[in-house]
Amino acid sequence: MSPVVQGIITIFVGVGGCVAYFYLSNIVLDKVIFPARGPNPGRNINRANMVRPWLFLFPAMFALGLYLAYPVVGSFIRSLYNRAGTEFIWFGNYIDLMAEPTFRQAVFNNFLWLLFVPAAATFFGLLAAQLTDRLSWGNIAKSLIFMPMAISFVGAALIWKFVYANNADIGLLNAIRDALGAERPIDVVQIPFWNNFFLMFILVWIQTGFAMVILSAALRGIPEETIEAAIIDGASPFQVFFRIKVPQIMGTIVVVWTTITILVLKVFDIVYTMTGGNFGTHILPSYMMSFMFRDDGRATAVAFVIMIIVTPVMVWNIIQARKEMR
Amino acid sequence: MKSKLYASIAAIALTAGGAHAQDLIFAPGADDRFNWASFEEFAAAHDFAGQTITIAGPWLQPDAGFLRNVMAYFEAATGATVSYSGSDSFEQDIVIAVGAGSPPDIAVFPQPGLAADMAARGALTPLGEESAEWMVENYAAGQSWVDLGTFPSPDGDPTYYGFFFKVDVKSLVWYSPDQFDEQGYDIPATMEELKALSDQIVADGGTPWCIGIGSEAATGWPATDWVEDMMLRLHDPEVYDDWVTNDVKFDDPRVIEAIEMYGTFARNEDWVHGGVQAVATTDFRDSPSGLFTFPPQCYMHKQASFIPAFFPEGSEYGIDYDFFYFPAFEEKDLGAPVLGAGTQFTITRDSDAAHGLIAFLKTPIAHEIWMAQSGFLTPHQSVNLETFADDAQRAMNEILLEATTFRFDASDIMPGEIGAGAFWTGMVDYTTGADASGVAEAIQRRWDSIR
Amino acid sequence: MDNIAGRKSGLSWAVNISVFAMVVLWLIPTVGLLVSSFRDNQQITATGWWLAPMPVDFSFRTRALPDNMEEIDGVYVISGNVFADPAQARWFPDGAGTLSAFGTRGAAPGEYAPGEVVEVVTRGQVIGALTVGAEGDYELRHDEPFARPVTFYFEARTPPRFTLENYNTVLRADGMDRAFINTLTVAIPATVIPILIAAFAAYALAWMDFPGRGLLIAAVVGLLVVPLQLALVPLLTLHQRVGIGQSFLGIWLAHTGFGLPLAIYLLRNYMVGLPRDIIESAKVDGATDFQVFVKIVLPLSFPALASFAIFQFLWTWNDLLVAKVFLPSGSDSQVMTVKIADDLLGSRGGDWEILATAAFVSIAVPLLVFFTMQRYLVRGLLAGSVK
Repeated sequence: MSPVVQGIITIFVGVGGCVAYFYLSNIVLDKVIFPARGPNPGRNINRANMVRPWLFLFPAMFALGLYLAYPVVGSFIRSLYNRAGTEFIWFGNYIDLMAEPTFRQAVFNNFLWLLFVPAAATFFGLLAAQLTDRLSWGNIAKSLIFMPMAISFVGAALIWKFVYANNADIGLLNAIRDALGAERPIDVVQIPFWNNFFLMFILVWIQTGFAMVILSAALRGIPEETIEAAIIDGASPFQVFFRIKVPQIMGTIVVVWTTITILVLKVFDIVYTMTGGNFGTHILPSYMMSFMFRDDGRATAVAFVIMIIVTPVMVWNIIQARKEMR
Repeated sequence: MKSKLYASIAAIALTAGGAHAQDLIFAPGADDRFNWASFEEFAAAHDFAGQTITIAGPWLQPDAGFLRNVMAYFEAATGATVSYSGSDSFEQDIVIAVGAGSPPDIAVFPQPGLAADMAARGALTPLGEESAEWMVENYAAGQSWVDLGTFPSPDGDPTYYGFFFKVDVKSLVWYSPDQFDEQGYDIPATMEELKALSDQIVADGGTPWCIGIGSEAATGWPATDWVEDMMLRLHDPEVYDDWVTNDVKFDDPRVIEAIEMYGTFARNEDWVHGGVQAVATTDFRDSPSGLFTFPPQCYMHKQASFIPAFFPEGSEYGIDYDFFYFPAFEEKDLGAPVLGAGTQFTITRDSDAAHGLIAFLKTPIAHEIWMAQSGFLTPHQSVNLETFADDAQRAMNEILLEATTFRFDASDIMPGEIGAGAFWTGMVDYTTGADASGVAEAIQRRWDSIR
Repeated sequence: MDNIAGRKSGLSWAVNISVFAMVVLWLIPTVGLLVSSFRDNQQITATGWWLAPMPVDFSFRTRALPDNMEEIDGVYVISGNVFADPAQARWFPDGAGTLSAFGTRGAAPGEYAPGEVVEVVTRGQVIGALTVGAEGDYELRHDEPFARPVTFYFEARTPPRFTLENYNTVLRADGMDRAFINTLTVAIPATVIPILIAAFAAYALAWMDFPGRGLLIAAVVGLLVVPLQLALVPLLTLHQRVGIGQSFLGIWLAHTGFGLPLAIYLLRNYMVGLPRDIIESAKVDGATDFQVFVKIVLPLSFPALASFAIFQFLWTWNDLLVAKVFLPSGSDSQVMTVKIADDLLGSRGGDWEILATAAFVSIAVPLLVFFTMQRYLVRGLLAGSVK
């Protein structure tokens, strides 16, 4: 079967090329440029060691620079040009966007997502982590809750269509309403404002497992003595949880929270496949897709607005990272 | 609207043919309904042995298989290899491919508006004067097809780029003859009668219409077809033409009237299956299934000639389903306008073989092979109508021929942001309860902001 | 003492029940999808998947054909059995069944009880008298010969039907095998290459001393949040200029770039935690950094490497957006997600059973990877995020 062979060859070439770079470049450095022999072996070793970090770092820095740092600048510049990229129009695209009600709606929805998804996912994650902590079948429960992590956003949207469908014979939600005596099915993705929450819940469903795994490890890391001391002092399980455990893992909770926050700003697939942004459910990433490759000026302007929104999270992350390093 | 070009169910059995494109489905010379002389003549004049031509287009199965079957004859005639790939998001893919500098040899555009964009970017190769002249002579209303395939080049000169091959008729209403017979309903000849029939069905305890405008990211396009058909039935064709070029603004009262006329059908709780809310989220492919249940969920479904591909397996034309022309208002006296769409072949990577392929599309045999499969209408005047696979297509061709006015799908000609964007979402908003004039103003605002 | 123990067991019951409820809640949507993917395409729209094991009531249409007409004493009769109609063979393979009602109009397919004799009327004309028994035997009589088939309807109960047809349709769709291989061709290098690159970089950032290290770490953390969407437009233009265009090379590079910040971040955090004395004693023994890295750090970092590998594999396997932009759209290079979204859903979009099956096919491999490698995923994640 020729595609198989072709696939295997491409895999080998790609991966092999990468291994070859590191292996050969180190050999070249050690044997050819600064050989540990000849008149000055010691100086050569030192020099080789000064160069080596950059040898190790070069591919990563190159890829990061090209694929993430350059686009930030490149996109910003592109967003100052018109539709075809032929004319410099200053902030024309941004001004047009501000005048667009759909854009304002998308920004508003995006803030809803930023508030609700990380909060709900962390809350459910913490709940699941605490409840499964001492359970005999806790590990099974955990991996089942964790499972949606493996599912693509498009797959998840399809899965949830079988819950939300506007038909009591397909959608579980409407079947439940039907069983409770509702007269006709409703379409939950069409309920103004609240439809956003039905879409958000899909992402919460996916991310809860992630929050749970990390928080559960953090809970295990709390020294037993503090908890035992509190129990001996007569604290109820709830008091132990809220007064002793939660404050101790606050740092981890914040990490989980910010990680999910970053994710929320990247996900466009759920809105795109569930509603296509109709019924007032656009968020910025999905709104951007409606301009993508049609009006690149407007598309990059939206992307840059997303960038501006994540900037505080980014700054906060960097500050945290620097604190940790000290 | 987004042209979805599919063929009728009758030939689904043939789709396996797509896998063996090299096999010719009709042996050359055997069936004398076909114009084999044109095939041999073409074969004698062209030789592209060893060359490969890639085609990208919007057709999925089963149409993709039909096209491959047609291309098999090109391969047999010239020795070239043709590789076709279709995508549901062709409109995006082709723009990305052109942007990345890796376009196919031939791109098949369902939307003249998008082809015009590509032409302005210099992505298309002119087909030449003689091709335009050929079309004027050999296609019915040839000049209008040439005009639809002529766009400004990067220098701004009007140039002929798009060769139309395969046409769809949109102004059709599908129904079940059994149900009409049992209930004693007659085919309405005027819009007034159609409305009266809808009321009659409600009075008899039924639901007249199945309407579904869902289509993932393209949700809303079936509603644009409704509005366009209404435009042609409420106003002179000139108003329609000016609307397409925005000389008649989108928030003009005449356009709003057409939108509201669509609303009299789609926004009438009693007239649509599942109620108004279901219209906006029911998938257009799922929507006609209501015709085939017992009791029927609805009695009529308005959709283009490709829709039988989505009817339940085994449905037969004339027994399980039939169609009638979406009638015009008697009081307006605007004749019998027909809305249609079509696909045009363009050369996105210049080569002799690509030009050769366009030349092949001029031969009657290229048309006849597809006609004999399914879902293919053509304005080519030298083809043998005997080759049509079934009476349904012949009847559709008749609707096309009896049209006093033929207009191309407006949303396909409008700029992409409108015709494949704001118009769609605007129709979703309107369908779910927004005010027609507000929606029209929003679309016009978007049009104004295109620079 | 008793009191406390009682409260304790009560609480543990509550915990067990609420965990169970949560697991069920989290599992139900996926189970629904799995069940739906095995159901018959007509039953799927007739009843919900939660009723899948139950029989389904259907209305059927059948035709009495003039070919079978007999003349008995001046009366024309067509008789037969509705369950013998080949159109119903799918549901009643042995040609027998029990009907609950019949009708002469599609609008009321269950108007009459079995055994009743009723008139068949079309367009105001009586065209015959029909009776249908509960066993499906029917008799149609008229005093004039029948010119056309006579249509009538009946209601009957069908057994639940599970099938692999849907999988057959999806998996044998033109080019699905090719798409599977393409997905692997994208996902494997796009997983291995960033790991290699990131591992070297993470080692440098964790254990090598050089000016600007802190700044670089901060930059990596900063780039962690750059939205992917930002990169698409400028990078496609760039790829075109350097001649990569849309190709496998292009998508590997893109996935590598997008995956690197997380990879470096996770791996560095893990490597920093490795015991300092092992590495330093190796260096004292004269090992170069390259040797230390390959022989000591790499094996010790296995959990973190595995964890990131799983993450990146899931991400590249599930990705739709990057594949659409950086791979050519032709069928030679389509990956599964694109194949499903652009081909299958486009031509079969109204069919719920195909949607369900396609979704399940697309998540099957990630789920398999997930359940077999879950341990590593968790271990590496913790190293990266919990400090």
